Amino acid sequence: MTVFHFFNCAILTFGPHAVYYSATPLSEYDTIGTSAKAAAVYLGTALVKLVCLATFLKESENGNFDPYQELLKVLINFIDVAGLYFALTQLTHRNISQNHKFQAVGLGWAFADSVLHRLAPLWVGARGLEFTWEYVFQGLEANANLVLNLSLAALGSLMWLRKNKPRILIPIIYACAGVLATMPSITRSDGKYLFITTMW
Amino acid sequence: MAGRRRGRIGGGVEVLDSIYSVVALVFILVACVELGDAATAVDVYRLIQYDIAGVPYGSRLAGLNHHAGASFFAPGADLSRTVVMMPVRELNLTFLREYIISNQPLGGLLLLLPEKVGNRIVGKIKSKDDGLMRNILVELEQLLIHANIPYPVYFAFEDDKINAVLADVRRNDATGQPPMATTGGYKLLVSIPEPKRVSSPTITNIQGWLPGLKGDGDTNQLPTIAVVASYDTFGAAPALSVGSDSNGSGVVALLEIARLFSRLYSNPKTRGRYNLLFGLTSGGPYNYDGTLKWLRSFDQRLRESIEYAICLNSIGSWKNELWIHVSKPPENAYIKQVHESLSDVANELGVTIGIKHKKINISNPRVAWEHEQFSRLRITAVTLSELSAAPELLESTGGLHDTRDSLDEAAVYRTIRLVAESLAKHIYGHQGRNIQIFADNSSLAINPFYISAWLDLLSRAPRVAPFLSKTDPIISSLKKELSDHTVELHVQHETIDGMFSFYDSTRATLNVYQVASVAFDLLLLLALGAYLILLFSFLVLTTRGLDDLINLFRRPPSRKVKAA
Repeated sequence: MTVFHFFNCAILTFGPHAVYYSATPLSEYDTIGTSAKAAAVYLGTALVKLVCLATFLKESENGNFDPYQELLKVLINFIDVAGLYFALTQLTHRNISQNHKFQAVGLGWAFADSVLHRLAPLWVGARGLEFTWEYVFQGLEANANLVLNLSLAALGSLMWLRKNKPRILIPIIYACAGVLATMPSITRSDGKYLFITTMW
Repeated sequence: MAGRRRGRIGGGVEVLDSIYSVVALVFILVACVELGDAATAVDVYRLIQYDIAGVPYGSRLAGLNHHAGASFFAPGADLSRTVVMMPVRELNLTFLREYIISNQPLGGLLLLLPEKVGNRIVGKIKSKDDGLMRNILVELEQLLIHANIPYPVYFAFEDDKINAVLADVRRNDATGQPPMATTGGYKLLVSIPEPKRVSSPTITNIQGWLPGLKGDGDTNQLPTIAVVASYDTFGAAPALSVGSDSNGSGVVALLEIARLFSRLYSNPKTRGRYNLLFGLTSGGPYNYDGTLKWLRSFDQRLRESIEYAICLNSIGSWKNELWIHVSKPPENAYIKQVHESLSDVANELGVTIGIKHKKINISNPRVAWEHEQFSRLRITAVTLSELSAAPELLESTGGLHDTRDSLDEAAVYRTIRLVAESLAKHIYGHQGRNIQIFADNSSLAINPFYISAWLDLLSRAPRVAPFLSKTDPIISSLKKELSDHTVELHVQHETIDGMFSFYDSTRATLNVYQVASVAFDLLLLLALGAYLILLFSFLVLTTRGLDDLINLFRRPPSRKVKAA
């Protein structure tokens, strides 16, 4: 039952996004446009990141930890943050409250991320006869990623959209922002980015 | 106030979310350690499929797509949808024979031959086990060839990967769960086109001619001596039938004798007054059909000039006794002559030659020895062989057990010495004299490296005639070699006697997949459904409140209340 397995993994990967949309007040306020725009911004961000990685990053010959390369990777990951900023602040959204805006943007961002990174391997791999746990794990990763992106968007809206923030929280917020922005380069293997750069 | 409350609820959601993501990440990292096996691909060789006069034999199917099982006795197993994997040394032949003869259903059979070391299936008989394995293979082959099996049968060599799969399958069987679609396990898949009949199976006869010295006053045709060996094989797995002893040994002996006599005949001073005709015939297992067609192609003069013919069949693993098989009574003058000349040389070498007489029954189409085809055309011929009894149809034709290690090169050497010396004595008229023409360390010594090299080559080339095209590399090699040693080479292409038909698809790749059962997928679906419903309720609860959740389920009753 291989198409069955593909179907299962697809539900696991993309289901939570749909459930999140329908369960929360997002569906009542019809924020699908916002999510779609956020997905488009994510696409643009991903392309820009790829180009930068391909241009500036060198293949490490002997696998030693090169601090400059890692710094470069972290800087490029900040493009991610810039993209999120753009999606949150610069795009024109309909009149929706801040709460819902960041959720819609986070959801659109996470959905685009899942589709771009996980749909193709799922389609190609999960339909085969051989059974592996790989695609179930990928689905779980997509779930965690959704949560991560929502929290990133929340952080972003806290930083850039709210004007009146309690004084004490400001440094904490920015520290969390820094950690969250560099986390992708820690959790996701570096090999993935290197593979993408060699593809170019 | 409302903003702060919303902020607190939002903050609560975020804390929970981050904990959740950390937990999920840890879970993923821990579970990543154990991943499923990747698919394995193994080379497999199909059992031969052929008809004799329309009666089907062998395995009639090629495609395979079933679950793997390890024994015939698994409780509750549906054997018609299982492929049984069995190592040959653990096979119970009587049970298998009963199973096949009583036409019991089976999805497929995968027989595992002992590990291939180099090019050998069975090593030199060093232990009782090796001899036992050879006997098992012979018996198994005879069983499978003569049965009509309606499911695919494949042979594969044991190696680490397939042994691991077999161990796993055995473990699954032992837990009492038979392999079926609902319990997972291994799935064996061979995708191969359906076997088609080979349209015109060709046999190629190669003959080389060494003319003798015609004196000035000779107007008659010089007498001819023929040395013949059939080079093709037949076995249970045509892609593995290399037939080192039957009849690779005969072919190598013929080539070496041709080489020695071509050296003698190259100098007119040492050229004998006999023509020599070397024949490599095909179609041996099929009642020596090729030999018959070859002989029929001779013109009358040549046929009448043949004084006698020596056919070589399986001379590679004898110790002290060799047999001459004749169809004319041993008292016949010609036969006596041949026997005596061979016996003389045999005595010098310290071996014995026995003589066996088998009358030809013209009405019986079975031709057990090559010399019988000569005898039917009234040419004196004998077959020299280590076999003492006439083989049945498709018996002793090279097969799974007949590989390089079943040969004794010294036996081939002795045979060559025997035949060459006796031929030379006859040609040069040295009967009764103690002269060794092909002595060791002379320029005409028999070359053991030549023997070894050709035996190696033949042991790597499966030679089942219907699967040998006209331009097959082994045929080209034999042609070239014989043309090097003879003056005139002639090749004849014929089709095999219509009584035999063969089907292709002899080798394939087996893919082994580890599959999950349908039950697992259903379980996963249920789990996912529960998870999504939980997530939905959780999100509705936290973002819209408990009232909304309850309202989702209470709408119909409230409308009824309103109507009333």
